[in-house]
Amino acid sequence: MRDELLAVENLTYCFRHEKHIAIQAVDNLSFQIREGEILGLVGESGSGKSTMARCIMNIYRPESGRILYQGIDVWNPKEFRRHKRLLQTSRQFIFQDSSSSLNPKQTVEQIIAEPLKIHGQKPERGTFRGEAAFQLNQVGLGEECLDQYPNQLSGGMRQRVAIARALTMKPRLLVADEPIASLDVSIQAQMINLLKRLQKEHGFSMLFIAHDLAVVHYLCDRVGVMYQGKLLELGPVTEVFENPCHTYTKSLIGAIPIPDPRLERARVLPEFEKENLEWRGQKTEVSFGHFVWR
Amino acid sequence: MDNGFVLAGIRPLPAPRCEKETWYKGRPVLSFCLFFLIAAGCLFCEAFIPKDPTFMDFYHANTAPNSEFWFGTDTMGRDIFSMIWYGGRISLLIGLLGAGISAFIGILLGAISGLGPEWLDGLLMRFTELFLSIPNLLLVLLLQAFLGEADVWSLSFVIGVTSWTNIAKVVRTEVRQLRGCEYVIAARCAGAGFFRIVFIHLLPNFFASILFMAVMNIRSAVSAEAALSFLGLGLPLEVISWGSMLSLSEQAFLSGLWWLILIPGVFLIMTLLCITNIGNYIRKGKSQTVSPQSPHLR
Amino acid sequence: MIGKKIAAFFFSMFLLSMAVFSVARLAPGDALISYYGDRAERMTAEERVWAEEKLGLRDSLLVQYVRWLENGLKGDFGISYKYKTGVLQVIGNRMENTLLLGGTGFLLIFLGALGLGSICALTENGWMDRWICRVGTISSCIPEFWMALVAILVFAVNLGWLPSSGAYDIGKSEDVPNRILHLILPLSVVVVQHVWYYAYMVRNQLLKELGAEYVLLAKSKGLRKGKILCRHCFPNMIPSYLSLMAISIPHILGGTYLVEAVFSYPGLGTLAYESARYHDYNLLMALCLLSGFVVILCNLAAQMINEKIDPRMKEQTYG
Repeated sequence: MRDELLAVENLTYCFRHEKHIAIQAVDNLSFQIREGEILGLVGESGSGKSTMARCIMNIYRPESGRILYQGIDVWNPKEFRRHKRLLQTSRQFIFQDSSSSLNPKQTVEQIIAEPLKIHGQKPERGTFRGEAAFQLNQVGLGEECLDQYPNQLSGGMRQRVAIARALTMKPRLLVADEPIASLDVSIQAQMINLLKRLQKEHGFSMLFIAHDLAVVHYLCDRVGVMYQGKLLELGPVTEVFENPCHTYTKSLIGAIPIPDPRLERARVLPEFEKENLEWRGQKTEVSFGHFVWR
Repeated sequence: MDNGFVLAGIRPLPAPRCEKETWYKGRPVLSFCLFFLIAAGCLFCEAFIPKDPTFMDFYHANTAPNSEFWFGTDTMGRDIFSMIWYGGRISLLIGLLGAGISAFIGILLGAISGLGPEWLDGLLMRFTELFLSIPNLLLVLLLQAFLGEADVWSLSFVIGVTSWTNIAKVVRTEVRQLRGCEYVIAARCAGAGFFRIVFIHLLPNFFASILFMAVMNIRSAVSAEAALSFLGLGLPLEVISWGSMLSLSEQAFLSGLWWLILIPGVFLIMTLLCITNIGNYIRKGKSQTVSPQSPHLR
Repeated sequence: MIGKKIAAFFFSMFLLSMAVFSVARLAPGDALISYYGDRAERMTAEERVWAEEKLGLRDSLLVQYVRWLENGLKGDFGISYKYKTGVLQVIGNRMENTLLLGGTGFLLIFLGALGLGSICALTENGWMDRWICRVGTISSCIPEFWMALVAILVFAVNLGWLPSSGAYDIGKSEDVPNRILHLILPLSVVVVQHVWYYAYMVRNQLLKELGAEYVLLAKSKGLRKGKILCRHCFPNMIPSYLSLMAISIPHILGGTYLVEAVFSYPGLGTLAYESARYHDYNLLMALCLLSGFVVILCNLAAQMINEKIDPRMKEQTYG
């Protein structure tokens, strides 16, 4: 078994609206990510996936629970300050909407070089421009993009720039918050292949958040299923897809359309209703590394 | 159609007027040129002014405009034509400095208020309200009394410190809208500090909406300098500026020296008007929908 | 909600008093002078110590502040050095003049802006609109004090029609026509200076209203322009206009002060100007507090009006 890179322990997060209303976005969540693996998180929108990613990236402060990154409690102010540089460089975030995650008033070169400048690092390839060009090349863009502004690029190109920016710091953990959701289907495939290739080359771990099960099946090593802020099932991809244990997972997997009309018509969809979810939070190991919370 | 029936829905449209698209349409070209002329004249005044503006020629005191003293001389015999250009330098400098200081304070406080926690925001907004609550003149009087004898720097400082509130309010609202943007969050994740976020990520994105106000602040700073110097609370008589030239006007009343009042005043107003026109142009450029049409009442 | 507002009001006043006090006390200049005048310079060292102790100038700034605030709440802001009487008395004498000038000016600006703005909006882009806009822009660029100077030069010095300074001729303080005569010049300067800004606001606001669908409906019913304007547009616009005017009081007040100083009109503005020149801090502090009080009150009124019009504003604590 590989080493554990990130451990999330009993994470809880609430959105507070005014004084009385609180929405439990993430509820007592625990999981680990190991070195060099891709963990997929699926769930419908509003199930707390993005919130959790943001907690991991020190954007939202969790209500309770711990997040350990390489053994560092990232929400402990003392430890955060001591390991600030490590935390800010080796964890990188890719946002869902590339049109708003890139500063419209910066050129691509400035965007990619910015993390280096913030941490005062010397670019490996001589100049900032050279470094930016190299990173662009890695994600399959040419040097002609360097002086362009984000609104001059297409959605796919922008997302590639965002990935290039993340790669500049040589991350060990890449948190990708639905990086393909806002792209066209044909471009989605390219991006998935790009991420897969980059992961092989660089060996970073990745938390990949998506709502598209097929993509997760193709890309990830392990997968977690979230519903209403709770983790329902977690296990190796093949294991979960072939042998889903939780009713919600079953209905999710059942909803994947089968490209054969006769099979598709004959299929019986498992019913899942909200009321059926009896949550006691009991963790059971169905098979090796495959957990279900019921 | 003389059979009494008129086809509904068809009515003669007046032929659309073809207006030539000219590059200067809607641009305050005249104001730009005039302002440029005045600014350049003030900057390079040594090259062409005929007299030493500080030299007091008591033989020629109080001369009306003539061929030697184009704009006349003041009560101390200084040549007004030379003084105008020489003093414009100080006036414009104070205008720029004052506006710069006010913009800096406004951006800083607005950004702190916009990015900071709720309680800090509340406190700062109370503070801004407080600043707004004292009439500007009183505030300047108070500050000037505090700083003592005025010179160019202290005057710019006082003017800047008293006119940042409008910028701060706009910056705060803009920052509040922008701070949720993912590129700001991304910069924060990457470890960017407060100043980097404000000046590299936020400022370029709201610059357009405060540019108009910054330009208008130049105008009010020039105006404030003139008013303060005129009241004897700004620059002393020896430091030549448009305001201090106007402060001689009390003596001018008694002896009917109209050129002492009119000429510096006209220069002052021309400058202010040019700046206003430029500012309005900037504002219109920012929001194209600034003049809504009213088609229903025609 | 009201309680919260009142609390905020007192908090603002408290902050204001603190700021005013600390600036005035830390300002250069001998505090003794503001009590004893020229006598302070002739005092011996012992006398100075005695005087300072008597006035409590040797205590810490905080103690002084508390004492000043306590006396202030009782209506005692100390003695004005220049006028040798109680500060409130000095202010009281001048108050009516400023109220007369400022109040009338405010009213005229309010009505004039409404009229001018409506004319502009109704004749949008016509020759009338264009000329009013042009003249308005120029008038708003002319510094107040210069406009006052030229007015004096033309109407008082050259033509001799109107008096150049003061609020009334000596011994004629009860003579109403004489007062009005003295009021004309400063009043017109104040009005001309400010009216355009608000007229422009009215113009844009009205244009927005005129573009709305309900105007089209009213027109389709056959209402005439004037009626649409009076019945439909004005009632919709007036509340926001009122709140704008309430917020703008410090502007107009400041302008009045400046004009007063130029015309040596015996009001609060001249008083403030003199007190700053002669380092009469007791007076200056009281004036600042008074102006601040009026302005904060007006802001409160504006906020209430806004909330009446638009309940959404309540959620934003700080507009």
